[in-house]
Amino acid sequence: MSILQLHQLSKSYGRIKAVQDLSLTVNRGNIYGILGPNGSGKTTTLGIVLGILKNDSGNYEWFDGQYGNKALLKIGALLETPNFYPYLDAQRNLDIVAHIKKVKQPRIDELLKLVNLAHRRKSVFRSFSFGMKQRLAIAAAMIGDPEVLIFDEPTNGLDPQGIAEVRETILRIAQMGKTIIMASHILDEVEKVCTHAAIIKNGKLLASGTVGAIINQDMMVDLRSSNNHQLLRILKQHLNIRQIEEKQDLLSIQIADEIDPAKINQIAFENGIVLGHLNARKKSLEAEFLELTAKG
Amino acid sequence: MLHLLKLEWLKIQKHSTTQILLILYVIALPTLLLAGKSFNDLPQEFINRNTFYMFPTVWQYLGYIGNWISFFVFGFIAVMLVTTEYQNRTMRQNIITGLQRREYFLSKVYFILAASLVGTLYYVICGLLFGLAHTETLSAAKMMQNTDLIPRYFLMLLSYMTFGLFIGTVIRKTGVSLFLYLAWAFFLERIVRYSFHQNIFPGKSIHFYPVNAASDLVPFNSPLNRMAEEYLEQNNFSLFLSPTEAVITSALYIAVFLFICYRLIQQRDL
Repeated sequence: MSILQLHQLSKSYGRIKAVQDLSLTVNRGNIYGILGPNGSGKTTTLGIVLGILKNDSGNYEWFDGQYGNKALLKIGALLETPNFYPYLDAQRNLDIVAHIKKVKQPRIDELLKLVNLAHRRKSVFRSFSFGMKQRLAIAAAMIGDPEVLIFDEPTNGLDPQGIAEVRETILRIAQMGKTIIMASHILDEVEKVCTHAAIIKNGKLLASGTVGAIINQDMMVDLRSSNNHQLLRILKQHLNIRQIEEKQDLLSIQIADEIDPAKINQIAFENGIVLGHLNARKKSLEAEFLELTAKG
Repeated sequence: MLHLLKLEWLKIQKHSTTQILLILYVIALPTLLLAGKSFNDLPQEFINRNTFYMFPTVWQYLGYIGNWISFFVFGFIAVMLVTTEYQNRTMRQNIITGLQRREYFLSKVYFILAASLVGTLYYVICGLLFGLAHTETLSAAKMMQNTDLIPRYFLMLLSYMTFGLFIGTVIRKTGVSLFLYLAWAFFLERIVRYSFHQNIFPGKSIHFYPVNAASDLVPFNSPLNRMAEEYLEQNNFSLFLSPTEAVITSALYIAVFLFICYRLIQQRDL
């Protein structure tokens, strides 16, 4: 069963096309990252599927339509800033969420513990720091144990400790087997957390699929030896090298297939060259992302 | 319905401005009427000072005082009932959480119905207590006389609240909405009625405006009000709408305002 399907969704704000003919499918168990620079239409897309924005054309469907207009009750979402009643305490704010979701036993104490706010249960929302508000919003999203969780820029505006805490929380939720849809402009975040991703720019879909498929499998290897020129000549005979870059005495090559770095060391050594430096890494999603969005 | 009413209750139970306004209503309604006791030189018409407190006239005087207080108390509560949801972006959050827009609208309507009912009930209780304590020869007929004011009082509260809900939903900002609510009732509506409408279509139709119709539901047409008589002589029509006219006009405005609120809540991006 698919969790969410978008068919050619479009929305404009005046002359600005925020989302254009966007189609994608999120399946059960996916941790789906929606990646794009600021203003690319991520929040608008999520706003439409969460019912707060009206799309101009196209359509979307939750859970293959099996819950009808009650679908949102099965979804926990944190969109942009956390919004609560400022004059109510944490407990009462979560009570309201549980009431709307019609959850009989919301286990609010447990959730507050999960997001590290148990000690502030009776404090009014107004008195919370931004990080605490964000964490309360995560707790709110988890009320009723929803099948799907949506996080929009979950680490935005948080300090490093807050970012770490939120990411850890999301990973913990992901391990429970939930479907997660997460919008972010931080690639590292998506790369670390997601199984699937869609990259959008100016409201258009540039690429979608598993994170592995979107990121190509090329490897980047940095090398240094006393004779880089000789080394390169030898490696070219053994490996499928796509790209070469030399910075001072550091040689960076891009290899088309995944390869054990020990193999490179062996080839060099057998040909009488001793490596002073060897560092193999995957091409980062960041580089990939910049490449893709530059084309788009 | 109870589910949505409970939701509103959860939201509003700790809202201090609403609490203060309600306390104000509870205190001011009987207190202002009791202030009549301190007038020393009452006009001749009030042969008996008790006229303020006894059946059947108590319904009228208490109603008139309630009219003034409710305009502020219940109108303000209704304005803030929706503007705070926009300003805290909690309406948006409610929808994301899974409340349907229709349910959101209904929760507000149920709330103003319930609040109007409670406000009316308090008016009835105060009226009964004053009447029972001050009427010398009690009779069922005397008690029941003028009680047609009770449903009209309810409709009046509902009218003010609907008007507040309407302005709050259209404007969305608390300060501007409250200002407009007051400005409309005290200046704008009168300017429209007397400076424009009267010049174009002179006649009784100048009375059919929302706040005027609502306040005419429980009018102050006591012997004291000479202005009304002079007005009638000058214009050949009454200063006030008749109860039936006021009821129909108010009901129509309530329907129109609620319909517009419903459309806005359904269609607007949040």
